[in-house]
Amino acid sequence: MELNILHVYPDLMNLYGEYANLAVLRRHLEALDVEAHIRTALLEDAPDFDTVDMIYMGAGTERGQKAALTALTPYAGKLKEAAGRGAVLLFTGNAMETLGASVTDADGKVWPGLGLAEYTTVETKKRVATDIVASSTTVPATSVGFMNKCSITRGVVSPLFDSLSSGFGNEEDCGPEGFTLGNVFATHVTGPVLVKNPVFTDLIIQRLFALRGWDLPEKLPVLPHEQEAHDVTLEELSQNGDRQKASLE
Amino acid sequence: MRMLLAIVVCKLLRFIGKRVGKGSSLPGKFALKICPDVLRRVTLPPCIIAVTGSNGKTSTVEMIAAILRRSGKKVIYNAEGSNQIEGVTTLILCSSTLGGKMRGDVLLLESDERYARLSFRWFHPTHFVITNLYRDQLTRNGHPEWVYDAILPAIHPDTTLVLNADDPLVSCFANGRDNVKWFGLERCSVSTDKPQGVYDDGARCPVCRGKMEYTCYHYHHIGHYRCPACGHARHTPDFAVTALDLDAGKLTIDGGTEIELAFRSIYNVYNILAAWSVCSLAGAEKEAMAAVISNYVLKNGRMVRFTLGGYHGTLLTSKHENSVAYDTNLGYIRDRKQDCEALIIVDAISRKYFTGETSWLWDIDFDLLDCPQVKRVLLCGKYVHDLAMRFDYTGIPAEKVVCYDTVSQAAGALEQDGGGELYVVTCFSDRDKLLNLVKLEQ
Repeated sequence: MELNILHVYPDLMNLYGEYANLAVLRRHLEALDVEAHIRTALLEDAPDFDTVDMIYMGAGTERGQKAALTALTPYAGKLKEAAGRGAVLLFTGNAMETLGASVTDADGKVWPGLGLAEYTTVETKKRVATDIVASSTTVPATSVGFMNKCSITRGVVSPLFDSLSSGFGNEEDCGPEGFTLGNVFATHVTGPVLVKNPVFTDLIIQRLFALRGWDLPEKLPVLPHEQEAHDVTLEELSQNGDRQKASLE
Repeated sequence: MRMLLAIVVCKLLRFIGKRVGKGSSLPGKFALKICPDVLRRVTLPPCIIAVTGSNGKTSTVEMIAAILRRSGKKVIYNAEGSNQIEGVTTLILCSSTLGGKMRGDVLLLESDERYARLSFRWFHPTHFVITNLYRDQLTRNGHPEWVYDAILPAIHPDTTLVLNADDPLVSCFANGRDNVKWFGLERCSVSTDKPQGVYDDGARCPVCRGKMEYTCYHYHHIGHYRCPACGHARHTPDFAVTALDLDAGKLTIDGGTEIELAFRSIYNVYNILAAWSVCSLAGAEKEAMAAVISNYVLKNGRMVRFTLGGYHGTLLTSKHENSVAYDTNLGYIRDRKQDCEALIIVDAISRKYFTGETSWLWDIDFDLLDCPQVKRVLLCGKYVHDLAMRFDYTGIPAEKVVCYDTVSQAAGALEQDGGGELYVVTCFSDRDKLLNLVKLEQ
C-alpha cells in the first residue's frame, strides 16, 4: 500500500525540529506496510494538492510565514478542494494561522489568509514560549508539547484541544487551542506534536486509512520509547504545575 | 547625589555579596532603583566593546580581554557572564570612582542578545561584535529572526559594527550603514559544497526569502552566500582567515599571521577571528595579538578531563536547546578519529527554568556519531526516552546504543566495566551530576 504526502515549504517552515512529524509518521506507516511517498513543494513550485492524501506544513518565523502565505494564496482554492475531499491536513505552529481568514502582523498590516476557516490572527509584540498539556475529545489522550508563539487567534468555532492545563490557547491562557474540521488539524503545539504524542499519530493514521477505504488493524503499531517519552513529559509537566499565567497583552 | 548613592550602595552590596557567594546582578539592580539613569551619568572609557550573538560570546570576550591586556590596556569586563543590564551596571559602578568616573581604558561587555537594547539605552559601544545567530534556547529566544529584531534597536548609529560576513542573517545588521567592519573565513579545507546538519537555515534569503546560493559552507548556514533574487550577499571581509588546517591545528589570518589552535574546532576559529578583528580596530598590534591567541587555552572551563573506572573521560559542555553547540562537540568527537565511547545526558533541560521541551533534539546531527571509531553510545537522564527515540532515526546501529534512566546508573555501569576514551556531551544543567561521580584531572 502507498500514500502520498506533500510537505509544504520544508526549507522555510521548519523551526523546532518540525520535520520529525513526517519522519515519525512515515515510520508508523512503514510498520503497517504502507509506503509513504513524501514530496516537497518549495516557494517557487505550484503545489500539487490534487493527488495527495495528506498535506503538512510546519512552524516558521513570522516573516517566513508571510512568505509562505503569499506563495500559497493562489492555490487556496485547490487546498480547500483537497480538504473537501477528505485529504488530511496537518498545519503546526504558526502554519495554523495561515488557514484562517487573516493574519495581522505586529505592524498592523493585514495579510489575507487561505480561508479554510473563519478565524483571524493578530500578532503581538510579546511572545509566549511555554510547555503545554492539552485535553481533547478529538485526540483521545492527554497531549503534551510546547508552544512558541506571538499571536492571538480569535473566532475558532471547533478547536482541536478543548482546554489546556498548561499553555496559552487560541485567545487566552489555558483556553481552547488549535482548530479542527473534518480531516483538517491545526495547532500551535510543537514538540514536534506527533513525536510527543503517539495517540495523535494514530489518529492521523486512522483518518488516512479511512480516506483510502483501507481496513485499519485492530491494534496500531507501538514504536519503542514513544509512549514512555510522552509519559515522562506529562509527569514532569504535572509535577511542575506551578506556572505563571501566560499573557500576550 | 543619586549617582553617588547608587555607586556606594552598589559597591557595598557587591562587597557583601562576594563574601556570601551571591551573584553580581543584585547590586546593579538596587543601584538602578536608586538612580535609573546612572549609566548615562557615569563617565565611561573611550573604548567600549560589546559582543553578542548566539554562540561564542564568552570565549570571544575572554580572548579580547587577554589580547588588550597584553597590549597594555586596562580592561574591565564581565568575566562572570552577568550580561543583562543589572550585571552590566554592577560591573560599571564597581569599577568607578565615587565621582562617577570609570577606571580602565576599555569597557568590554558580553551582552545578552535579547536585552542589549536595555543596557545600551544609556550608553552605546564604540564597537559592537555580532558573532552569529542560530537556533538557540527557543524556549527563551523564540527564533533567530526574533533575536535579530531584539538586537536591532540596541545598535546606535555611531557604533562601528564588527560583523560575521559569513552569516547571512547577521549581515542584515549592516543594511543602511557605512560604519561596518567584516570578518570571515575564506574557502578552506573544512568548506563543503553542500550544507551540513539536520536543517538548513541558509536555504532562504533572510531579506526576500529567495533561494539562496552558496559557493561553500563552513558549517550550518555559515559560508559564502548570495541571493540571486535581491542581491543580498557576503561582503568581502576586512579581516579574514585565509588558510585553515584543522588537523594540524593551524590557521592563517590575512595571509600573513599564523596562529596555532589549542582547540581545533571551526567555532574556535571564528571566535579567534572575531577577537582579532575588534582588537585590531582597538589598536592592538599583530604581533601582540598572535602571541596571545596562539595556543590560547580558554579558561571558561567548558572542557573537563576526568577518570571513571577504566575510562579516560572528556566532558564537552554543550548547551541543551542549542543544536549548533551540540553539533560542535559531536563533530569534535568524530574528528578525533580515535576509538571511543560517547555518553549523552539530558536530565534537566535548563538550570535556570523548568521546561519539558525536547524538539531541539531533532535539530541535532547525532549522525556525526555514526562512525566506526565510536564504539558505543550511552544515553541517560530523565529524557532518555526522547533521546533514544531520536537515535532510532539516525544511522547508528541499535546495538551500539545503551540507555540508562539516571546519570548515576550510567556512571556506575561505566565504572564497573570497560575502559578507553569516553566523551561526555551535556549541558551546564546536568554536567555536575556526572562530575560529582568521577575523579577530575587537574
